[in-house]
Amino acid sequence: MLRASAVCEEAGVPTATLVCEGFLALAAAASQGQGMPNIGIAMVPGHTGVQSKEQLRENILGVTVGNVINALLEKPAEGKLEKEPKARDIVATGTLEEINEYFLANQLSDGLPIIPPTQARIDAFLRYTERRPDEVLGILLPDMRAATIWSIAVNGVMAGCRPEYMPVLVALIEAMCDPYYGNEHSGNTPGGETLILLNGPITKELGFNYTQGVMRDGFQANTSIGRFWRLYLRNIAGFLPHGNDKCTFGNTFRVVVPENEDVCAKLGWKTNSQDFGYRAGTNTVTISRFTGGNHISSISGSKPEELMPYIADSMQKLHSWHFLFTVGAECGGTLRPLMFLSPILAELFAAAGWSKQDIKQKLWEEARVPAWHMERVSRIWTQKPSWNLPLEVKLGRMPRVYHESDDPNRLVPIVWHPDDYMIVVTGDLGRNSGYIFAHNGVLGYPTAREIKLPKNWKALRSAANSVANTAKGKKKNGSSS
Amino acid sequence: MSDSETFDAYWPRSPRQTQLKSLAPRLDTLRGKTVVQLWDYVFRGDEVFELLEEGLKERYPDIKWVSWKEFGATHGNEEHEVLASIPERFKELGVDAAISGMGA
Repeated sequence: MLRASAVCEEAGVPTATLVCEGFLALAAAASQGQGMPNIGIAMVPGHTGVQSKEQLRENILGVTVGNVINALLEKPAEGKLEKEPKARDIVATGTLEEINEYFLANQLSDGLPIIPPTQARIDAFLRYTERRPDEVLGILLPDMRAATIWSIAVNGVMAGCRPEYMPVLVALIEAMCDPYYGNEHSGNTPGGETLILLNGPITKELGFNYTQGVMRDGFQANTSIGRFWRLYLRNIAGFLPHGNDKCTFGNTFRVVVPENEDVCAKLGWKTNSQDFGYRAGTNTVTISRFTGGNHISSISGSKPEELMPYIADSMQKLHSWHFLFTVGAECGGTLRPLMFLSPILAELFAAAGWSKQDIKQKLWEEARVPAWHMERVSRIWTQKPSWNLPLEVKLGRMPRVYHESDDPNRLVPIVWHPDDYMIVVTGDLGRNSGYIFAHNGVLGYPTAREIKLPKNWKALRSAANSVANTAKGKKKNGSSS
Repeated sequence: MSDSETFDAYWPRSPRQTQLKSLAPRLDTLRGKTVVQLWDYVFRGDEVFELLEEGLKERYPDIKWVSWKEFGATHGNEEHEVLASIPERFKELGVDAAISGMGA
């Protein structure tokens, strides 16, 4: 909405931007990124979502009308952008503790200790890419900062990544910069957090956990790359809590989750990266944002028909406000729920001749809600514009399946197409459970990127392994403290 | 790393790629002006715009409105398309000022 105002101002049209009281700090931060720190804000008292019609009327007529007039007629104060260091400035010199204190005090860290990004450490990361340090992968809203190879290395060092993770980090930021993903929405109300999926042989090569406890911290590659993502969102995109990050509650970062490609290959199932159009065996990252998720514990039965009712029921029950991404012109058709299936469940489905596609089809057919409920959530509970499914179908903004009869009790799918579901095989090899993530639609649409390795990857890895083995040998012999 | 070892740490951000921009000139009055409503389809903007119309018409009876329905959501699937259309559409509609809501 502030972005819309900035476009108007640039077109020579004065604006008044309506901002609820609790969002004023966000507006101040976002206006810096737009280069218009003095843009006219018309404050709306309180939050409209919890006001009666009478209260809303009193607030708008008593306060906001005057604010709008002022914003459109009064000459704004002189605008000033905050002064900042330059791209490669050393901003702190000191001990580990002193560096960490500086980074914390200046909101450059996430609250955990960081590894100081020194020249030597940054150089070690840059050796794992053929791209120039100053290359710009994109400009990230809301801070409008350049996503450079250099800044990826710096934040990778801070997060505790190893230098050899650099190709993964670069692919992630390429995906972050893809407009299709919608990174600018990362600070929105529901506070969803990105989940990074990994595919390809790099999973084993870099030592990612892809079996039991796959979503748990404790594995350096999974954990530090997850942390890197959140640091980059803060430092480059500018999503700082109490500023541009206006999540109501938020989430902590998620660790990277690789798919178990051994199981997929054994079953003849397509991998997630193949679902995104990549050849089997390609190293890829896939990012998408989810507000939350839930474990589906102990999915029991001996054939797919016995498993599906529980899975479909869980899928349906996890979705409520997310219908915002099913219904309506502005976001409709962008809901992409994700389900993890543990390997033995995948094996059970495959043994009965089912593919991932068959499960998606069945979910589309069975994970349904009454039409009246979907309309109620959208129109009444979350106070969106006056949507109704027949009108949306009539206007051609939703598929016909949402209005096959006038019966308000008719069941409608929670996603438009079976392919909107994503299924990934991962987790404990011996458990019969699943996990469902509630997707945030256009606010973090699934986006995949190939991880490109440098030509000298094998030589670099061989040298790194040699150093690591020497260090292990010294430790074993007691010659190192 | 030893306790006494010191480090030179680089700035982890990169410079903003935007310069300070001038705002559009303000109007001297809203009398007879055409004001457009832009909405991101959240926080009861449809009701808020109705109330703003009422409140502003009391002070500026000949104010003209272009409804948010003319544009579509400024947030979501259509955001990029809607924002890109603004300069041209404003010219066609003779827009003098814009009110953009809701949220931040």
